[in-house]
Amino acid sequence: MFVRLLRKSILRRKSRFAMGVASVLIGAAVVTALFTVSLGVGDQVGQEFTKYGADLMLQPQSNTIQIGLPGVSIGSVTEQKYINESDLWMIKTIQHKANVLGFAPFLYQVVTVGDGPNAQQAVLAGTYFNKTIQILQPASPQDPSVFSTGIEDISSWWKVTGNWITDQNDTTSAMVGSNVAQKLNLTVGDSFKVSYAGAQNGTTATTQNGTTATTQNGTTATNEKELKVAGIVESGGAEDNQIFVNLPVAQDLSSRPGKVDTVQVSALCVRCPVADMASEIQGKIPGVQGTTITQLTNAEMSTLDKYQSMMALVTAVALLASTMGIFTTMTANVTERRREIGLMKSIGAENRSIASLFLAEATLTGLIGGIGGFGVGIVLAQFIGLRVFSTTIPLRWEVLAVAIPIAIGVSLLASALPVRRATAVEPAIVLRGE
Amino acid sequence: MDEELISLEKVTKVYGGGTRALNEVTLSFEKDQWTTIMGPSGSGKTTLLNIIGCLDLPTSGIVRIAGKEVTGVGQAALTRLRRENVGLIFQQYHLVPYLTALENVMLAQYYHGSPDETKAVDALKNVGLEHRLDHPPAHLSGGEQQRVCIARALVNEPAILLADEPTGNLDQTNGNVVLQMIQRLHAEGRAIVLVTHNPDISELGDRTIRIVDGSVEQDFKSGGDRNGE
Ligand SMILES: Nc1ncnc2c1ncn2[C@@H]1O[C@H](COP(=O)(O)OP(=O)(O)O)[C@@H](O)[C@H]1O
Ligand SMILES: [Mg+2]
Repeated sequence: MFVRLLRKSILRRKSRFAMGVASVLIGAAVVTALFTVSLGVGDQVGQEFTKYGADLMLQPQSNTIQIGLPGVSIGSVTEQKYINESDLWMIKTIQHKANVLGFAPFLYQVVTVGDGPNAQQAVLAGTYFNKTIQILQPASPQDPSVFSTGIEDISSWWKVTGNWITDQNDTTSAMVGSNVAQKLNLTVGDSFKVSYAGAQNGTTATTQNGTTATTQNGTTATNEKELKVAGIVESGGAEDNQIFVNLPVAQDLSSRPGKVDTVQVSALCVRCPVADMASEIQGKIPGVQGTTITQLTNAEMSTLDKYQSMMALVTAVALLASTMGIFTTMTANVTERRREIGLMKSIGAENRSIASLFLAEATLTGLIGGIGGFGVGIVLAQFIGLRVFSTTIPLRWEVLAVAIPIAIGVSLLASALPVRRATAVEPAIVLRGE
Repeated sequence: MDEELISLEKVTKVYGGGTRALNEVTLSFEKDQWTTIMGPSGSGKTTLLNIIGCLDLPTSGIVRIAGKEVTGVGQAALTRLRRENVGLIFQQYHLVPYLTALENVMLAQYYHGSPDETKAVDALKNVGLEHRLDHPPAHLSGGEQQRVCIARALVNEPAILLADEPTGNLDQTNGNVVLQMIQRLHAEGRAIVLVTHNPDISELGDRTIRIVDGSVEQDFKSGGDRNGE
């Protein structure tokens, strides 16, 4: 009888019931979209993080060199200071070491590529591609004593034609930025000559690995090196104007053995304590200054934060609208059915029976609105994904487990007052002929 | 002397607005008795019926139904007393519009806690509506709707049947059909309290109470009882 009563009373007022469902649907759709996008984008933002490269930049203290961030050109060098390559293992011994996804040192120098009239200037960067580092003193004995890392870990978004350099002892291969390759007409497999003319006289004696040194004017030496293009790099940033080689090659060429200009550290989390990590590294390695890439981090964060606070606002408004919609339809429902409620009471219905009839209707409204809203929300999520984050958002079924309880909860909450009014109807009204 | 079914002792009802609808009314109703309540409009007839039918509680005074005191029990207990003892017939029938005739009768069974379709069908047969079981109220005439209302009032076999102007919305013919049914129910031994403006109807009952301004002005034997004296 209860089911029949519920079904028939709803069917009798189809359009009003549909209005209630529509009210819930709006809220459920927005909730679904919020959660689906948050889940989908949560991962994606983590990826975008590394897409922007490092989270942390290490520089020598009081270095006046302008750091060469991706997308930022390198300025001039005045008083040169360096980080010692031999200290880098310590990065992996900080308290947040688990969050250190990887790091790559950089030693920059301006080189001349080619000979004669066709010669071009380019920035040559020595770095790690895939370097196995000995951790001389692990933070605890259980920690591994080696760590493999390199530029691949912090620049995973690079588009590489050809191959990455994989051998840390490879002294003849180079990865060439796409702009450089275009200017010099280089393709994978081509050989080219770089020369560095800035080395201090007298330091050329330290050259290794087959780098030849000639003395010019008695004060500066020009070092030359024959390199082969292993891969062409397209990053959309400053990297496109650079040539990458294994760190020792660069150190030899400019006669700066064991030296590093900067180190980029990539962290493995969406909201890493990067500032803590920076100061920890600063404390560990003397003469090093750690800077969080706050600008980029903040930009990323604020996109996500802005999105989330915007969505939270939209959700609050949508749920409020849902609540008001349900409240209105339920109030109208109770008002319209006052006589019916009085009749039911006069023939023996208890408050409990009256309340359960209306609450069941509210639950059903919430359930149907929740399911419908989930469907609409999925579509909405795709729209937001494409518009805001330029990506499709995967379907997340677990959102259904959030959307439906919220839909039913809102529906029941909004019905609480109208249902109380229903139970307060006096049975005596049936005789009064109201 | 018949058994006392309902008794009112100095019952007063004052409504929120300050209207004193009943003023120290003391009355008792017996089993098998048909009581007709008459009086001018606004004199307190419906208020009295509400209190007898456990639809409302008096402001002061004592109401007993089948020996049990009604006053002072909670709303839930009042509901229970009502559905165990009272059947109601309304001037406006008050059928649930989206339920069929049969379902309307079964609704009373449902709230009473004793659903029994066969019995519900029998109740409708008794009022001559066996061919209208699956009709919604909108497809029934006024007389038929009132008969569904009577079937619903009787399906749980209450000791007392309350009717407020049961023929007020019916034409002569249909009104007579309904009155004949009430007469039959009375003959079967049911207590009936009926409110009407029509003196002819009061002639059908055993006793007539005249209420004016919330007080009993007249209480006399009428109809069959008077003739039988
Ligand atoms: N719920 C109520 N609130 C306030 N006054 C009421 C209410 N019901 C009835 N009354 C008043 O009580 C008096 C008696 O009403 P009622 O019992 O309906 O009289 P009758 O049925 O004899 O016409 C009237 O003055 C009426 O206006
Ligand atoms: Mg009245």
